[in-house]
Amino acid sequence: MENEFTFALGPLVIGTSIITTWGIMLAVAAIAWISTRRLDMLRPGTMQTTAEGIVATIDEAITAVAPEHGQQIMPFIASLWLFLIIANLLGLIPGLHSPTRDLSVTSALAVVVFFSVHWFGIKTQGLKNYLHHYLSPSPILLPFHIISELTRTLALAVRLFGNMLSLEIAAMLVLLVAGFLAPIPVLMLHIIEALVQAYIFGMLALIYVAGAIKSQQFNSQE
Amino acid sequence: MEFNLSTFVLEIINFLILIWILQRLFYKPLMEVIAKRKLFIDQSLSDAKNLQQQAEQQFNLYENRQKLWEQEKQTAITALHRQLEAERKEHLDKLNADLEQERQKAKVLLSKQQRELQQQTEKQALRNAAKFAGMLLQQSAGSELEARLFAMLISNLTTLPEACKQSLTTLGTKKSVPIKITSAYPLTAEMRHQLEQKLGELINNQINFQYHQDEALIAGLRMDIGAWVLNANLQHELIGFAEFGYEPE
Repeated sequence: MENEFTFALGPLVIGTSIITTWGIMLAVAAIAWISTRRLDMLRPGTMQTTAEGIVATIDEAITAVAPEHGQQIMPFIASLWLFLIIANLLGLIPGLHSPTRDLSVTSALAVVVFFSVHWFGIKTQGLKNYLHHYLSPSPILLPFHIISELTRTLALAVRLFGNMLSLEIAAMLVLLVAGFLAPIPVLMLHIIEALVQAYIFGMLALIYVAGAIKSQQFNSQE
Repeated sequence: MEFNLSTFVLEIINFLILIWILQRLFYKPLMEVIAKRKLFIDQSLSDAKNLQQQAEQQFNLYENRQKLWEQEKQTAITALHRQLEAERKEHLDKLNADLEQERQKAKVLLSKQQRELQQQTEKQALRNAAKFAGMLLQQSAGSELEARLFAMLISNLTTLPEACKQSLTTLGTKKSVPIKITSAYPLTAEMRHQLEQKLGELINNQINFQYHQDEALIAGLRMDIGAWVLNANLQHELIGFAEFGYEPE
């Protein structure tokens, strides 16, 4: 692996992953601003139609899992999907690396998901009700609930990190061994894998958040 | 690849900022537009549904009206056909009656014309017959025929009907009875004597006899007794024969 470009900003060390993330944020913000600056209700342009298609598709997928709180969790899940798709596909551009091959980035995203689950759960049910589901059906299961929360967060981070890192390494090795045109199928696989990993991470986050929101409902039904 | 706390912390902050940016610049405006469009489409669909219902109501209304009009039209056409049929039948009957009347008139007229033609023919035939008979009798007439007609007159005077005899008797009440006797040939004295004797037996009064000659009588004689005229001549017979055709049947 080559040496990464880093610089210090006070106590913080800024690496390529952060710089790439900022680049992604700038690009996304620019595209979002351009595509929504002239919105027309009756005669949408090509960019508006595409943007509406993306948002509507994501909203539909979220509403299918959490119909009652879809609007509430939609910005978080949609941002995860969009960021991960762009970040995963960024590795295809020569000279750039996907930020998701960095364990710090995937861990940060997993921790955000971890806290979001509790945030949405407490927001919708209240702290007492939300914490109560850790004691159900029996307080004995509390340690297992806690372990489950931690392991799934860890799994989220490591799954994405491992897949993206291995994908980039595999592509680089094939490129080194087989020549210039041979990696094209591997690059195609990279695209599919990037999309699938983004989908899996976002969908798992959605399921976790929806589960936290609905846990009290299950308890009430019981 | 090592875990970097700075990257970890900054990535969390970056992602939260990204959520805020997307929420402000991307999701919110797009969702608002989508919601407005959905509302507009729902409103349009609702309006279209109302319009469709109104159109269906109008359609049903006009369809019912059209059915009613069709029924009225059929009824009117049927009534018109009946009326036309009745009028046609009436006109046909009237025409047939007029035709029959005209036929009867023509038949009567034709019959009348045929009858008149027949009468004309008969008259012409009688006139011709009288003319030829007159020509024949003028050539064949003579004193012998005169004498024979005279004898027949005398005989007929004897066998006169009772009513005629009564009429002649009433003439006797007058002072003098003039009797004009016209003959085609001059009467002999004996003939005049027989005639005066015979008339004297019938009329019991003085009689004034006047004798005349008229060749137009062809043969025979004519007696004018007051209003009475007794003919025993061929002219009178021929005239009577010719006038026979003028008498109504």
